[in-house]
Amino acid sequence: MKRPVVPAPPVWDFPSPRTAQLDNGLRVLIFQRPGQHLINATLVLELPLSAEPRDREGVSAILQRCLDEGTASHPGTDFADELEGCGAVLAGGTGYAAAHLSLEVPSTRFGTALPLFAEAVREPQLADADVRRHVELRLAELAQEEAHPSHRGAIAFRAGVIDSEYRAARSASGDATGVGAITADDVRAQHQAHYGPERGTLVLAGDFGGEDPLPAVVAAFGDWRQPTVPISHEVPRSAPARALLIDRPGAVQADVRLGRFGIDRRHPDYAALRLGGFVLGGGFLSRLNRVLREERGYTYGVQLANSPARSGGLLAMHASFRTEVAAAAIAEASELLRVDGDRRITDTELTDAVNFLVGIAPLRCATASGIADQAAALVEAGLDTGFVNTHSAALRQVTPEAATEALERHLPLNDLSLVVVGDAEALAEPLRSAGLQLELA
Amino acid sequence: MAHMSTAVRFALHSTVLDNGLRVVVNHDPTVPVVAVNLWFDVGSRDEQPGRTGLAHLFEHLMFEGSANVASGEHLAIVQSVGGSANATTWFDRTNYFETVPTHALDLALWLEADRLASLELTQETLDNQRAVVLEEKRQRYDNVPYGDVLIHLIGLTFPEGHPYSHPTIGSMDDLAAADLDDVRAFFATHYAPGNAVLTIVGDVTVDDAVARAARYLGGVPSSLRQARPVAEPLPPLTGIPRTEVTADVPTDASYATWRLPARDTREFAAVDLALAVLGDGQTSRLHRRLVRTDLIAEGAGASTLGLIGGNSIGFAQARALAGVRAEQLEAAIIEEVNRFLADGPSAVEVDRAKAQFEREWLDQLGRFDSRADLIGCYATLYGDPEVVNRRLDEVRSLTVAEVADAARRYLQPEQRAVLSYRKESA
Repeated sequence: MKRPVVPAPPVWDFPSPRTAQLDNGLRVLIFQRPGQHLINATLVLELPLSAEPRDREGVSAILQRCLDEGTASHPGTDFADELEGCGAVLAGGTGYAAAHLSLEVPSTRFGTALPLFAEAVREPQLADADVRRHVELRLAELAQEEAHPSHRGAIAFRAGVIDSEYRAARSASGDATGVGAITADDVRAQHQAHYGPERGTLVLAGDFGGEDPLPAVVAAFGDWRQPTVPISHEVPRSAPARALLIDRPGAVQADVRLGRFGIDRRHPDYAALRLGGFVLGGGFLSRLNRVLREERGYTYGVQLANSPARSGGLLAMHASFRTEVAAAAIAEASELLRVDGDRRITDTELTDAVNFLVGIAPLRCATASGIADQAAALVEAGLDTGFVNTHSAALRQVTPEAATEALERHLPLNDLSLVVVGDAEALAEPLRSAGLQLELA
Repeated sequence: MAHMSTAVRFALHSTVLDNGLRVVVNHDPTVPVVAVNLWFDVGSRDEQPGRTGLAHLFEHLMFEGSANVASGEHLAIVQSVGGSANATTWFDRTNYFETVPTHALDLALWLEADRLASLELTQETLDNQRAVVLEEKRQRYDNVPYGDVLIHLIGLTFPEGHPYSHPTIGSMDDLAAADLDDVRAFFATHYAPGNAVLTIVGDVTVDDAVARAARYLGGVPSSLRQARPVAEPLPPLTGIPRTEVTADVPTDASYATWRLPARDTREFAAVDLALAVLGDGQTSRLHRRLVRTDLIAEGAGASTLGLIGGNSIGFAQARALAGVRAEQLEAAIIEEVNRFLADGPSAVEVDRAKAQFEREWLDQLGRFDSRADLIGCYATLYGDPEVVNRRLDEVRSLTVAEVADAARRYLQPEQRAVLSYRKESA
């Protein structure tokens, strides 16, 4: 039977939320999603980590982790008992520009869970013992991350490509020095200074059974009054290129990152670079994966992507190669990143990339949490949810030439940083022979 | 309030094509997307001694080309129409799935049909994908701390040679020894329409979906399905078998494992709730005791791994804070298990575990791809996709006494095995 011919995916519009703003300044975005019986409520609080005291980095993350350890209305473990008792779960995320706190709960218990969610944000106890414990747990987590090649590589890559003057060069959840110094007073002060309704956007998504969830939001958050301190967002700059080898004696694979400081969604090249990145290292038969996995068998998989932040981003190729072939794989990967001469992005490659990125949008937004996550990421970036549709249109305007040029501009092969986490004894010599000025750590 | 439930029912249509392929359809037009899912009733439990890892290797080989599809093209072509595709292997199954914009449904079905009817197995792709699997094992198991936990745990829980005693990734020696004849025989034995369930969920009507499934997959030749011997449940573990691993890990860790009843039985569901009370979430007894009160662990929990062939597995585990030894973790875990067995759970704890089960259940059913997978799972393992519409009520109907009784029957400390990780001294 002949292969079915499939036309380009139809354009799908990201749903427009119903928007509201409470008297206290809290913005609300409501997405009614029929059939989604698991409600997602995500509060995005604008909170640049550059506002953390330099010697207490990580305080925002510790604050977030303590929010569900008891509230004024439900002290201590009562809070978690109530919250988990209604089938809900709270999750937090610390972005460089905003804190995310999300609630997921079956729609039948949304009315019970939302006031609890508001308590955690508005009146957490932040007791001394809870803060101390979460500091200890974060220090333990740091030790685990240090032992994990991919975590360790991610932290080193961030530090390698962003100028150390900026907060974004360091882990969002802080390192051992900063976290170890954090006290309960620091955490309470951080809450006092930064958790207020003017900083917040509450995203709601799910099947509310035809009812309007706004009155419940007003009841839970309407009388929240908390002035916050003025803030500004940093605009990080890139650091000079370097090649770093982090020793993990006896490791059977080398965790490799190659790239540089990337771009954010507002950059005019954003759509073109996203497509170019997909051609090189996004799809299964991308130029990188086709050769390094499917032909050579060097790796389980290799990816290249630009991950946007509010300002700038991280543009990296990432893969784990077996130690014996890692140097050869890195050399070959560098060649595969070239888009000059007859290696320019082709029409077919670009069409496939556009179809994927445009077509995948409804899949990613099929659930309440998919919609809420997407909206929350845009809020953190300071963008409107209309960005999804604008971006979708922009993707369809990109030419192969534009994608090629975006790669040449943002991925200059003579100016990339390399971070390798692996067995230095086995890797240093072959990497140096390949001409790298290697720093060892 | 705690007993209010979300009434979620899915209209399922089930039919069997002439070649034996069962097709299950759930029409859901809320998003312009269709999920296609093929569950093959073959997992690592079906592998022969000396040939472990073949089921998982197959998951790779199935993407390496067929009569009308080039190597690797399956995934690339699905992506090029704005879809996603993947596959997974587990003890009881191998599943292949595509999620695509509605208008690309034909393509997904055609791709599945082409490889089922004409998979190309060559020495070159076998060699290449073996290398890739070796890198997968290094990346997931060998190069990360505690990466080999599951391998040790199933080795402790099941006797050597038992279908569940080896991991899905298999033995690298076995893989190296496998030749094209082994691979072809595996395909012929397990990859037949009668050994699979095709589930289609999404923006397509039942009649339309069935017609398209028949058009593309109805022509794949049938073959006899091999009967699998009935797996008798093993008795509880005895003698507290132990494995001690000294490794370059950040801190000590302790694991306990128990033999449980086969998945989805009423008793299994009861032990699952018991382990949730013990170890799921911030309110769980193990978290409160080890993480919050004693401050000896950075994390502690308990869970089940449901399996169809006679026994499932129950786990409890904790990872130490710096300076705490595995023995301390083990002692605290066992004290909490004993307290649970002596007093049983409270009604509030059981209601909470049920409420959390409901959330996880709705989460799985909310996505087309995971809903299709769950439907395919029940249709394959029980021949009854409607389990998906009953299971939540079954779990809700469990009583506190049933949870306590099941725990006393299956979670006795002397019926456990123990795995300890010790941090290598510098």
